[in-house]
Amino acid sequence: MTSEESTEATAPTATLDGTIWAEVDRALSGITATAERGVLDVIVHVPPAEIVRALKALKADATLNFDYLRSLTAVDNEDEGIDVVYHLYSTTAKHNLTVKATLPTDNLHIDTATTVWRAANWLERETAEMFGVRFTGHPDPRTLLMPEDMDDTFPLRKDHPLAEIEILQGEGMGYSDEEDQ
Amino acid sequence: MVTESAHEFETQDLLLNVGPQHPSTHGVFRMVMQVDGEVVRDIIPYIGYLHRGAEKLCETMDYRQGIGFMDRTEYLAAMNAELSYVMAVEKLAELEVPDRAQWIRMILVELNRLASHLMFMGAFGIDVGVFGTPFIYAWREREAIIDLFEEISGDRMMYAYLRPGGLAWDVPTNFVARCREVLTAVNQGIADFDGLLTKNEIFVARTQGIGYISAADAIDFGMSGPSIRASGVPLDVRREEPYLKYNEIKWDVITETDGDVYARYLCRLGEMRESVKIVEQCLEQLQPGAIMPEKMPRMLRTPPGEVYIRTEAPRGEFGVYMVSKGGNRPYRLKVRSACLSNLQALKHMSVGQYVADAIIVLGSIDIVLSEVDR
Repeated sequence: MTSEESTEATAPTATLDGTIWAEVDRALSGITATAERGVLDVIVHVPPAEIVRALKALKADATLNFDYLRSLTAVDNEDEGIDVVYHLYSTTAKHNLTVKATLPTDNLHIDTATTVWRAANWLERETAEMFGVRFTGHPDPRTLLMPEDMDDTFPLRKDHPLAEIEILQGEGMGYSDEEDQ
Repeated sequence: MVTESAHEFETQDLLLNVGPQHPSTHGVFRMVMQVDGEVVRDIIPYIGYLHRGAEKLCETMDYRQGIGFMDRTEYLAAMNAELSYVMAVEKLAELEVPDRAQWIRMILVELNRLASHLMFMGAFGIDVGVFGTPFIYAWREREAIIDLFEEISGDRMMYAYLRPGGLAWDVPTNFVARCREVLTAVNQGIADFDGLLTKNEIFVARTQGIGYISAADAIDFGMSGPSIRASGVPLDVRREEPYLKYNEIKWDVITETDGDVYARYLCRLGEMRESVKIVEQCLEQLQPGAIMPEKMPRMLRTPPGEVYIRTEAPRGEFGVYMVSKGGNRPYRLKVRSACLSNLQALKHMSVGQYVADAIIVLGSIDIVLSEVDR
């Protein structure tokens, strides 16, 4: 980490005492990562361009040894872009980490993690078809759950209607804070 | 007609389609096998026939309505699936679950594990070719458990009995006695299976050394549950990150070292015995008390935040990743399916085996397609 970034990261780091952030920070030297404390696990934000380097470093690090990919998915935050979320686990050191990379809506490309864990293969195919995230270098970029020809609609995006009835009603039945107040 | 002698003995690999409607695929799963005679050279699995968009549906429903979708996601172990979901809501809403509810939950998820493993024993017997007896035996014991669940929740499969904060209502007054009855029946069932299959020469010949996967490969593929523990990896969420009251009782993580189909069978058999042990200890701990927190809001809302909850379901790690942006429904809900990750390793385990063995390898993963496809 350079000096400017470490001042940025001071506020969240203060609450990260007793977590694995110190080791993660050391393993991710040279990568601008910030962290926050999640409900259960530490959440690390990594720039999408450096994601594979970061994941490889986390897996290769002797004390961290994140050898197990629990889950890989995405969250559509609408205007704020799409978060690709990795849930890592170490079968030897028994700790968890959540890694996030935020993709801007106009550039949904990210490198594939299949070179790090083979477990990422199907999970990335699912994320790709559901959110339109393009995993560069994926060995098998077919659809997984969707029909083969459904490669231009992304069902789990927030702007995708749940069903035809929503289009007919003219407004989404989707998530809204004002509803049920 | 082939005239050139150079082509006379040339063989061609055959593409063989299995499924999506086929008894050996345990649901709507399709795979295209490339076979060279009887030997499988490649497998291309196709899933998604049962995709219902359960994740998207949950995002439009309030927290309590989502429970029903969890039942349908993992219908053979619905209690385990509900548990991950309600635990995620509880973590986000910071609800404290009363002790009695936690002990009852533990009894129910372990009984459900027994029911699910019984289902595996029966169906796997058929895969291997021991048609009839194990299946009927498995059904008999599973029926006892399902009857008990029906008495508690009112439904045989889709219980919707767990609630964020605790349980929908208290268990019947004869619950402990009924559990002990069921355990007696299940103990008998386990002994029957042990006698029928474990030392059965044909069964052993068909399963030993088939579908091997090493510990390192199993970890890399993200496998979990009995499928990874059979490869010698003691990965069990109940032990590694104890939830409910798993750290307050005595039980063992069952592992096998061979990593083959037979080891996966032995792992499940051993786990059934452990589940019985767990339920027996829980029954002794069960005290009268509240089953819901005292101050439960009428409309459940969560502050913004996110959590990834993992619990040990019969097939492996059932994870629920829940993102909240405030309000009474999840902003994003992702279900981490144990079967999906286990199924990824199918090709790795089956290539080079005979076609009939590939079917057994598939059976040994114990897939539930509605969980794979969500």
